[in-house]
Amino acid sequence: MSIEKDNRVALENDGMRLDIVAKVTGAAKYSTDQYLPNLLWAAFIRCPYGEATASKSSKEKAEKVKGVLEVNMGNPRGRYDGDRVGYICAESRHALEEAMAAIEIEWQVGKPKTRLSREKTPLEKIDAPQRANEAAQAMENAPVVIERTYDTQVQTHCSLEPHGGTVDAKGDSAIAWVSTQGTFSVRDDLVRTLQMRPTNVEVHCEYVGGGFGSKFGAGPEGDLAARMSKKYGRPCRCFCSRYEEQTDTGMRPGSMQYMKVAADKSGKILGARIHTWGSVGTNGGGGGMSNPSRYNFGVVAKSHQDVNLNSGGPRAMRAPGHPQGMFAVELMIDELAAELGMDPMALRLKADGNRTRSEMMQIGADMIGWKDRLPNGSAKGVIKRGLGMGVTDWGNGGGRATVGVNIHRDGTVEVLSGSQDIGTGFRTMVASAARSQIGCDRKYVTAKVGDSRLPPGPGSGGSVTSRMVAPKAMNAGLLAKQELLKAVAAEWKTDAAKLSIKDGAITDGQQTLDWEKACKLIPNGQISITSSDDGPFAPRGTGSEGVQFVDLTVDTETGIVRVKKIIALQNVGQAVFRSGVENQITGGVIQGLSFALFENRILNRENGTMVNPNMEFYKIAGSMDIPEIIPIIWKNEGDVSVNSVGEPPGIATPGAIGCAIYNAIGVPVRSMPMTPDKILAALATKETIG
Amino acid sequence: MPSNDGKGLSRRGFLRGAGTAAVTTGVIGIPVFVHGEEPQAPAAPTDIDKIASTGATISLSINGQAKEFTVSPADTLLQVIREQANLTGAKEVCSRGSCGACTVLVDGKSVNSCLMLAVDAVGHQVTTVEGLVKEGNLDPVQKAFAEHDACQCGYCIPGFVVRSKALLTEVPHPNREQVKEGLCGNICRCAAYVRIFDAVEAAGKENA
Repeated sequence: MSIEKDNRVALENDGMRLDIVAKVTGAAKYSTDQYLPNLLWAAFIRCPYGEATASKSSKEKAEKVKGVLEVNMGNPRGRYDGDRVGYICAESRHALEEAMAAIEIEWQVGKPKTRLSREKTPLEKIDAPQRANEAAQAMENAPVVIERTYDTQVQTHCSLEPHGGTVDAKGDSAIAWVSTQGTFSVRDDLVRTLQMRPTNVEVHCEYVGGGFGSKFGAGPEGDLAARMSKKYGRPCRCFCSRYEEQTDTGMRPGSMQYMKVAADKSGKILGARIHTWGSVGTNGGGGGMSNPSRYNFGVVAKSHQDVNLNSGGPRAMRAPGHPQGMFAVELMIDELAAELGMDPMALRLKADGNRTRSEMMQIGADMIGWKDRLPNGSAKGVIKRGLGMGVTDWGNGGGRATVGVNIHRDGTVEVLSGSQDIGTGFRTMVASAARSQIGCDRKYVTAKVGDSRLPPGPGSGGSVTSRMVAPKAMNAGLLAKQELLKAVAAEWKTDAAKLSIKDGAITDGQQTLDWEKACKLIPNGQISITSSDDGPFAPRGTGSEGVQFVDLTVDTETGIVRVKKIIALQNVGQAVFRSGVENQITGGVIQGLSFALFENRILNRENGTMVNPNMEFYKIAGSMDIPEIIPIIWKNEGDVSVNSVGEPPGIATPGAIGCAIYNAIGVPVRSMPMTPDKILAALATKETIG
Repeated sequence: MPSNDGKGLSRRGFLRGAGTAAVTTGVIGIPVFVHGEEPQAPAAPTDIDKIASTGATISLSINGQAKEFTVSPADTLLQVIREQANLTGAKEVCSRGSCGACTVLVDGKSVNSCLMLAVDAVGHQVTTVEGLVKEGNLDPVQKAFAEHDACQCGYCIPGFVVRSKALLTEVPHPNREQVKEGLCGNICRCAAYVRIFDAVEAAGKENA
């Protein structure tokens, strides 16, 4: 198959993001931008240690601060840095800040659990999982057996708009502005908190400053704002500071991954024993990971343990469990390939039976220059080049959503969905999907999203929003168009079935009527269609396969990695909004790069305090770290269903970077983030051995 | 013309003015406060000394309009712009100068408004992202961002736009590397960087 390098495969190839002007002028109002008259300010009092008890405390001084309405210190025990031990509600930011500083607590600091490596149950004490004997048998007489342990760090979401909301409860109704990726889950949470009817609770999130999986539901912040607003009959605002954001609004758990894998001489993987540990919060789980994911490892015996540490709990983060799992899996594949004396891509083609990815691998390999890849560690000079690759995929379930389409008599078209645009381009996607069936010029089409009064739709999680909503938008567009054609047919005294819309005008083959004139014929003011059905657009089997190739250099004197180029081939089925899809792919790749090389939540091992709850010591990839990235929107012939693209692009990147570093320096760095110190340490072991 | 006396823009002046433990902690490790310049010599004591802790009225020129605000000595320029002037384009993200989301122009130079006290902006021309729109027309930088889809969630974008505006004054026709260097104080978590670089490079080519 040939590659459309300009990616002109989408329903909307040339149009702009609908809300781009609002975003570049500052006119877009996010939830944090709502400063209502008579506003109350609320915030949580937080425990600054991993495990601590308030042996002595006093809220007296805080309560005396002018403008303070309420100080609550109901919870004397903090279980992690950032844990909520009370709250303050005040009439101004000043009063809130002053009261917070006046809180007196003497903390008795305990012995927090801060390290996965130390708290985990050792492998030999883990109960044998199902198929353990079978896997052991498969590996028993294998010619090649390798046994490795990989680890990955904790990553925080660090959404730029903090978690929280402003709630204005009046009598038996409320309006809320909440930073969320789930309009309707927030509405349901507030209905419970406020004990109001769903008809009386209105949630707005027209603009959302990122979420990445951490912003479902009203959260403790939205809940506090709602309670204080109801209690005092005034609007109340509660948003996290960056410290709170970094400690108590979710994270991607850290991992350790033990893998014993056996293969025959041809590179067929016969079996594996895999055990993974995930570092989660003080209670509960959520630390599982996807390993070996898409590869066929023969007979696999797998077990997992969630290890509770004194930290804020995990929340879903862009492909939860996947990037960390695939880091271990991809690097293991490259180590196995080295052991077998095979090309790592040849081994992947063997272990991954997916036909789309096989094609992607061939094409991506050409683009990155895979044939010039030197054997691991054989590059000359101080600065060594390395190539690496990784694969990705994602599940694609259907689901419920409703979309409305209005066509007005002046020609304007409104596409309505209550689901939210957290930066994915959802607003533009839903409009383009509907317009693809209507056929009018794009200048007539707008979309309203992120408002619980609009037709319901899914939260932005699990890469489902486009997949679930696009068919309904197309169907509503189709039905609305049919209504318009009926109106024109009545005027022309003909059969509506004979009419179509071509180049934005209505035609029966002989006469044409331009869009605005046609819309004037609409009876009763407007056409209004709502569809909860997929109609003829029901999702059919369309995959989310992807393959990525990385070209980078490692400075063997400093350990610094510079990624030069990443090629990301990504199947999204029928792309809707081209620029949005490309932007999503490159964004996912960069987040994967950032996770692989930089980001790292660090807890003080003595007292459990997060030492980098900010944005200068919690290092996120910035402009100087961005390589050339080539996103390729892949479309298999016959793929007509729309897939979402939030999660898959970030999955392959850390593994591909890990493999490229291994290729450059000839020794694997099995621990993320792959920082210069670890690279120099790995090089030192090689020199010692060599 | 941008003023070069540095009054009100110096980091040390800021520290001395504020002088509290909380602020000192917040400033450790920040990158250069005024982009494109070395930190300057301590400024003369600012008007902060004349402001009562209970607050006082100051006049600020924001987007070409002078307006009075009642501020406390600790109020940052960002807080006054957002909470009182109702200009919410500039965002509070890190609160300590490491992300650039709060970037505004002060006398034409880009400044992290979360690190500047409101009182220190007295007598200076403050321009926010909203102020770049002239008579309903987008600034060429804004237009380039729009045309290149230089955005995802958009929360960081006002900061990027304003910083890019200043960058194109410092380096009128930046190449890719100069764009990257010029934007290294701004963080986009969604990582729309490639599009942002494209936009700024294109705006530079259009620059007179």
